[in-house]
Amino acid sequence: MSTTSRLLTPDTSAAPAGVPPERRFPAGRAWARVRHVALPFGSLLLFLVLWQLLAASGTWSGTLVPSPAEVWDAFVAVSTTHDGVRGYNGTTLVEHLGISLRRIAIGAGLGIALGVVSGLLMGTVGWLRSLFEPWITFLRTLPPLAYFSLLVIWLGINEEPKVTLLAVAAFPPVAVSTTTAVAAVPRSLIEAARALGASRWDVVRDVIVPSALPETLTGVRLAVGVAYSSLVAAELVNGLPGIGGMVKDAANYNNTPVVLVGIIAIGVSGLIIDGLLLRLEHAVVPWRGRA
Amino acid sequence: MPSSELTGTRDEVDSARAGSVRLDHVTHRYGRGGEGFTAVGPVDLTVPAGQFLVLVGASGCGKSTLLRLIAGFERPTGGSVRVSGAEPRPGGTAGVVFQTPRLFPWRTVRGNVDLALRYAGVPRAQWPGRRAELLARVGLEGTEERRVWEISGGQQQRVAIARALAAENPLLLLDEPFAALDALTRERLQQDVRRVTDRTGRTTVFVTHSADEAVFLGSRIVVLTRSPGTVALDLPITLPRGDIDAEELRGSREFAELRARVSHAVKAAAAA
Repeated sequence: MSTTSRLLTPDTSAAPAGVPPERRFPAGRAWARVRHVALPFGSLLLFLVLWQLLAASGTWSGTLVPSPAEVWDAFVAVSTTHDGVRGYNGTTLVEHLGISLRRIAIGAGLGIALGVVSGLLMGTVGWLRSLFEPWITFLRTLPPLAYFSLLVIWLGINEEPKVTLLAVAAFPPVAVSTTTAVAAVPRSLIEAARALGASRWDVVRDVIVPSALPETLTGVRLAVGVAYSSLVAAELVNGLPGIGGMVKDAANYNNTPVVLVGIIAIGVSGLIIDGLLLRLEHAVVPWRGRA
Repeated sequence: MPSSELTGTRDEVDSARAGSVRLDHVTHRYGRGGEGFTAVGPVDLTVPAGQFLVLVGASGCGKSTLLRLIAGFERPTGGSVRVSGAEPRPGGTAGVVFQTPRLFPWRTVRGNVDLALRYAGVPRAQWPGRRAELLARVGLEGTEERRVWEISGGQQQRVAIARALAAENPLLLLDEPFAALDALTRERLQQDVRRVTDRTGRTTVFVTHSADEAVFLGSRIVVLTRSPGTVALDLPITLPRGDIDAEELRGSREFAELRARVSHAVKAAAAA
């Protein structure tokens, strides 16, 4: 603790006289690099080492805890064609992932679009909010698996229930955050626009929408996260090809390495997408927190 | 009534002229029944076109409420408000500058002014010229591409003034626009507002709690009593306008006397 605080804050009393303060900042910058690069990678490395040790100790069978090398082999196997077998079940890992991402794009896209529109309506029209908010809250508390069976009964086992599930999962976070954001638009700005001669529609387009945008984008990130975590559920029935279907199918055969490959693939792609959405947010709403 | 003394028989003619303001027995209550309170009134006031009226009073005397009534943001609970002979409506009758700039943070300086030009119905082809002219009028040349949170508070308020002038409304309403600024910036902006309104001849209603600001800006000063606000003093200011040396004006004996008189009236009205 004392080391870090000394590194972070230039301590004038400890410095030799005559040394300009900026000379001591590189130490702080080096610590920042350690903290932001070395520590995360260090923890990842430590995790792999512990995992390898655990697998090698033989406490659990290889079926339960395969070694990192086995998982790597599985990764290579599902990514390539070998012995005449293409990837997993005739589809490579990237293709599984691509198919799932397409489902997410369509499903979550629909849910987000619907959520933004209903959020705008509920945020501006008070009685609409009172009418629909309880239903959305109810929907939000349901785990997607709870209504998946119903969707299968209604819509069959093809693309429709999967896309619908993702849409239903993505809808509430966006609707709720947009509603809140629209209702919280500063009255002062609406009044300023009206004083300049803005019509009702002008106010919606030029004040309410941009003002609600930061919160809405947070809702979108949340929605994509929820859709992502519902992916395996959505692909529980007839999910192949699809990354969630692959995980489910491999689990049926106790193929733990492929299950882990699938989980890691979902996690890593989810992180990348979240990072992209975060960058989008910074690009689209640079005024966030400055209003 | 001192106000009718001032405007005399021109009342009837003036009350329909563009930019004129006429308040007839205006009262305004917030809330209902026993929990409500009367913020304003009754106030009778006629502001002829071209006048620079400054409303002065201590905090909570209802001067901001009066301005909101003139802007059309609220309907008076009693009496009638007429601007250019008609009932005021926001955006249609007056340009408004608020206590805080109220700029749209998602737009640049240019974007804020352009939005005002669009709402004012100015054809898009004329925007660049009009924008440049407006920004020059408030001394903001070359800041078009700046983000509004990057510029100083004084500059933000200048953008707000440029925005309020975009529609060329015959009436300009300002609600303590310089209260949050440092003294130097405030004096500079006061001079700018004086210059801009003198040049364009528009009617101005300016709300402040500062006697100094009131005497420097106004061609007429109305002091309001504490809530409910009513007219306590109605004073014509005959200090020279047009191109004057602000320092010299502020240093003059007349200025000091008027300031003392207004300041005294404000204190007396607040204590009453």
